[in-house]
Amino acid sequence: MRIRDLAIYFGFDKLQRLYQDVKIHGGLLMAIQKFRRFDDLKSGRLIGQDKYGNKYYENLYYFFGRSRWVEYPEYKNCEMDGSQVAPEWSGWLSYRTDAPPYADPIKIYTKYKWMLDHSENLSGTKHAYMPYSTTKPKIEAWVPKKDD
Amino acid sequence: MSAIRIFTACKYGKQAFRPTIRFSSTAVSETKDQHSALKAEHGGYIYVNNQEPSMDFKDVTDRAAQTMFITEIFRGLGVTLGTIFKEPATINYPFEKGPLSPRFRGEHALRRYPSGEERCIACKLCEAICPAQAITIEAEERSDGSRRTTRYDIDMTKCIYCGFCQEACPVDAIVEGPNFEFSTETHEELLYNKEKLLGNGDKWESEIASNIHADHLYR
Repeated sequence: MRIRDLAIYFGFDKLQRLYQDVKIHGGLLMAIQKFRRFDDLKSGRLIGQDKYGNKYYENLYYFFGRSRWVEYPEYKNCEMDGSQVAPEWSGWLSYRTDAPPYADPIKIYTKYKWMLDHSENLSGTKHAYMPYSTTKPKIEAWVPKKDD
Repeated sequence: MSAIRIFTACKYGKQAFRPTIRFSSTAVSETKDQHSALKAEHGGYIYVNNQEPSMDFKDVTDRAAQTMFITEIFRGLGVTLGTIFKEPATINYPFEKGPLSPRFRGEHALRRYPSGEERCIACKLCEAICPAQAITIEAEERSDGSRRTTRYDIDMTKCIYCGFCQEACPVDAIVEGPNFEFSTETHEELLYNKEKLLGNGDKWESEIASNIHADHLYR
């Protein structure tokens, strides 16, 4: 048994991995900051970035379900929500497709001028959607004549 | 009588495994002897309920050792230590998301034709098929003479996300899009009207089109 196999058997390769992850993230302080925001320290290949500043990464070392992730932009600080992911990236992030939006012909083709900009889930803010009627009521209230 | 014998064998049989009490002969004759001895001791009856546990020092320490079983603690700690270094089996939402199918039925959306014209022709098939009766449609003739809805409401709290509405739709207008992150803080925010549904379609069109294309061979 080689020394490397021995190290893997006792789990020392995990420590080596941690050291590399810290180095990739630019030092211990940066790594701690990343860990605070993302609750995890992972390094992977940058697949792309949407116009809201979300960065999408992939690392097939992790198992299916953890191998793709999004890093929300700095200015959001800890106000991060799953609905901030751009719609065209949500398919890639949820493993519906392996093609990122710039490589998916349907998504490249589907760009119409009537399409709206994505908005995150606004529930709980003053911009939240409130239902209203889109047509005039069928029944109108009866206003009784005033007796003179 | 044999039933009672079986019962007493069950009750006293486990004592065979304790080193303090020794049986000399077969269990049946032993229990018979015990019966008569116990009867004599209590004055003509047998006490069948649980006995008070013995408080001898040896018995107490035996029980304590059985309870704690010190090696099991360390084995348990070993399992904990091993699990710390394992890769977690959970995903780190909202940074990672679980796998979904292109057929996933999430938040509803009303689609448009590429020209920007809304697809829905107010045929009310979705309203008719909806098992939860969550859809309300009112229709009127538009100024250009075409038949369109004036009201298209879905009560998302009634909806059971069965997908019958998108199956029923002859023009692919109502679809259940891939969005599942539309939870709200109040009930009324989930009473969607036509504006909201069309807006969903306008935001998610690229994703909806991609999903329909991914599944087009099977529909």
